[in-house]
Amino acid sequence: MRAYIIRRLIYAIPTLLGVSIIVFLITRLSPGDPVRIYTFGALNVTEEDIQALREHYGLNKPLYEQYVLWLIQVLQGDFGKSLQYNRPALPLIFDRLPATLQLATTALGIQLLIGVPLGVMAALRRGSWVDYVIRVFGVLGHAIPTFWLGLMAIIIFSVTFRVLPSQGVLTVGHDVWDVPDRLKHLILPSIVLAVAGIANYSRYLRTETLDVIAQDFIRTARAKGLRERTVTYVHALRNALIPVVTALGGVLFALFSGALVIEQVFTWPGVGQFTYAAARSKDYPVIMAGVMVASALLVLSYLLRDIAYAFVDPRIKVK
Amino acid sequence: MSPRVGTTKGFAAVLASSMLVAMACGQAPTGGGGASPAASAAEQPTPGGRVIYGSFSDIQRLNPATSNDATSSQVSGKIYDTLILVDPKTSEVKPNMGQWTVSADGLTFSWTVDAKANWSDGKPVTGNDFLARVKMQGRSKVTPNKSAFNDIEGYQDYTTGKATSISGIQVDASNPKKFTVKFTRVFCPALVTVFGSAPMPEHIFGKYTVDNDPSKNVDDAAENNAPPVASGPFKFKEWRKGDQVILSRNDTYWKGAPLLDEYVQKVVSDSTVGAAQMKTGELTMELAQPGDVADLSKADNVKLYKWPDNGYVYIGWRTNNPNVAFLGDKRIRQALMYGIDVDAVVKAVLFGEGTKQLAHHPPVSWAAGVGLNEYKYDKTKAEDLIKQAGYTKGADGFYAKDGKPLAITIVTNQGNKTRETFLQVAVEQYKQIGVKINPKLEAFEALVPKLTGGSPEVEAVIIGWQLSADPDPFTIWHSSNVASPTKAGNNFVGYANPDVDKAIEAGRNGPDCSQPARQKAYQQMNKILNDDVPYMFGFAQNRILATASNIRGIETGSFSPNADWNIEKWWIKK
Repeated sequence: MRAYIIRRLIYAIPTLLGVSIIVFLITRLSPGDPVRIYTFGALNVTEEDIQALREHYGLNKPLYEQYVLWLIQVLQGDFGKSLQYNRPALPLIFDRLPATLQLATTALGIQLLIGVPLGVMAALRRGSWVDYVIRVFGVLGHAIPTFWLGLMAIIIFSVTFRVLPSQGVLTVGHDVWDVPDRLKHLILPSIVLAVAGIANYSRYLRTETLDVIAQDFIRTARAKGLRERTVTYVHALRNALIPVVTALGGVLFALFSGALVIEQVFTWPGVGQFTYAAARSKDYPVIMAGVMVASALLVLSYLLRDIAYAFVDPRIKVK
Repeated sequence: MSPRVGTTKGFAAVLASSMLVAMACGQAPTGGGGASPAASAAEQPTPGGRVIYGSFSDIQRLNPATSNDATSSQVSGKIYDTLILVDPKTSEVKPNMGQWTVSADGLTFSWTVDAKANWSDGKPVTGNDFLARVKMQGRSKVTPNKSAFNDIEGYQDYTTGKATSISGIQVDASNPKKFTVKFTRVFCPALVTVFGSAPMPEHIFGKYTVDNDPSKNVDDAAENNAPPVASGPFKFKEWRKGDQVILSRNDTYWKGAPLLDEYVQKVVSDSTVGAAQMKTGELTMELAQPGDVADLSKADNVKLYKWPDNGYVYIGWRTNNPNVAFLGDKRIRQALMYGIDVDAVVKAVLFGEGTKQLAHHPPVSWAAGVGLNEYKYDKTKAEDLIKQAGYTKGADGFYAKDGKPLAITIVTNQGNKTRETFLQVAVEQYKQIGVKINPKLEAFEALVPKLTGGSPEVEAVIIGWQLSADPDPFTIWHSSNVASPTKAGNNFVGYANPDVDKAIEAGRNGPDCSQPARQKAYQQMNKILNDDVPYMFGFAQNRILATASNIRGIETGSFSPNADWNIEKWWIKK
């Protein structure tokens, strides 16, 4: 197992290198110039000032040289300085990471807690009104754009009924360790972020459960006289969960990209909101740091998925 | 002066100008007037409470010497007070922390800092603090405002390290509250652009700038983002990144402690959400969009203030782009001025919250033109002018000359609702006078370098200006600032007119810097621009401030973009 993990981590290096080259090229070759954007409207800014800033940030060097310099710095743990904030880019990203992780893991928890039982219920009562309701919800949950849902949630729960806060992580004036207040702020964004996933899981689970309960070993289990509950939850569910684990690999990343939208709508001070703003002002070091951190997390979550396989499905062995 | 930038959220950022709007005023208290019709002498200002101001972006840098974004300036401006104060209604420059006299040749300013002006740790504010500001900005490698002090004698030699002191700034050794600043040439906007730069605490930041080592600078100072002392009405308390920044009352503020306990600037995702939060009370102040006015005015707990903005939104015509050579013809540009019903645009785009603009300076400015052509909407006149320029109408309803159609691509930045709607209306209305418009949207970050770099891709652009308290239009209209690929400039349209240049130079470099002399120069300039119309001058938008209805003491004016010039007088009725 340990050898396997080490091998996988080594494989991750060329992946991350590839990502860095592609993102580097995309950000540099797409139109826009961070210095021109940053100095736009500055009083009496001169062409010499602009050139001096370009030189200071190494933006006047050839692209390949800029990349190599970036890579050498990164290997020393330095992702460069944000042009907007004038502070090291990686710590800026790490400042925002906890908020995003908090949102993403809460959403994931909600997705599993609601999505899995819904899917099983739909399958067990196939054709009933329960099944239909869950299936319609599944389609809706997938089709509704999250930003719209977010705005609706704000209008209904924050503006009309005023039961939940709509923005940020904490009420103004409250202590940073006010946990109940933080949880209240977490409710709307995490549920909205979770909706699409709930729909996904319930659909997976429904299909898989239907597949599994039609199989011989379930009939055998019933024939042995096991209680229906045991048949469902021990024999059927465990097998039906395997595709869920498959989906889990990408889920953290999906949540991250979903959080990008949600963080905008709810002004959640996370990596998504931050990187988006950086992309708009072409703050190269921050964009690169943000993407690299997200990519590393993706690689890591795929690794965790493959390890989880071994636990869920005894037929799969990690070599 | 600064371009007004729009983002996906459709708001305008006030850039450098907000830094120049001084914070506070020495005038008599207002007795809480203006905030409510019920306000009367019976209402006694009471201390306590906080204002929660909604802003569309987080602050970035709190050291004004190194920053350029409006959101940061709005916060740092409350921490660091300035020597001068711009009257919010008239833009007249008045003494604030400092009093000044000017030498007969207009080159030397002698300053005396108010005896009461102090830092929140008890140290006095002196000429050394102004000198420290100039030095740290000069040696910073990341500031976008390095050239702001170029006209101070010896400044450029100091920035490059050729000199170890700035010869033009002399602080009186026996009384450091007194200092003089000498310029190399008369620079009329100096009071606002140079002395509107807040003095910075020498005893905190001085150590980062080393006179004989130009490689040392303030750029990485820890105090940049956590100011330990304040000269303004508020002190820095905490910055919760991406969420809010909290300032607390400066009890030793030289004009007397403010009444509010705290000023909180909180990030909100967009104007719709901001308006919703005003209603729930999560915010108690924000700049509202015209589209939200109807909704907000229905809320009992919200009060709205409106005032004409010192800025405008326009369509700029490239007069130097061979792809659209016809835009070099004044008759065509005048036709385009006549061909838009601006009042209809203001209704459609701004819900009536704006007025037609006829030249560069808006009517609120003392520099505004007089006796200008109003260009009343007149389709026939527009078409006549186009015909005079040698064009004939084709079967498709559009004018053409020598087989070349009268067609213009107008670009604006994506996501700014006001400008996008303006563009749609322009397409429709210009079609009616036989001019074909190809609308184009581009991301702001992609558009800016094309504008300031004079790219031939740009034929016409819809964008806006937020003007500074000083009316100097040098960077926008002087021919030396024509944008080109080799030289960035804010004269995006490539306008060059020797008479306008002369008027701008007279208003900028005097020698007579008196307001009547400058006014005469700018009136002349506006007259020429009004006739030449290198822009379809568009409209000046009203600024709309929404506040909780129990906040008292607010006094608005076109030259205080965020209406916060007297924040130390604000109070909350319990």
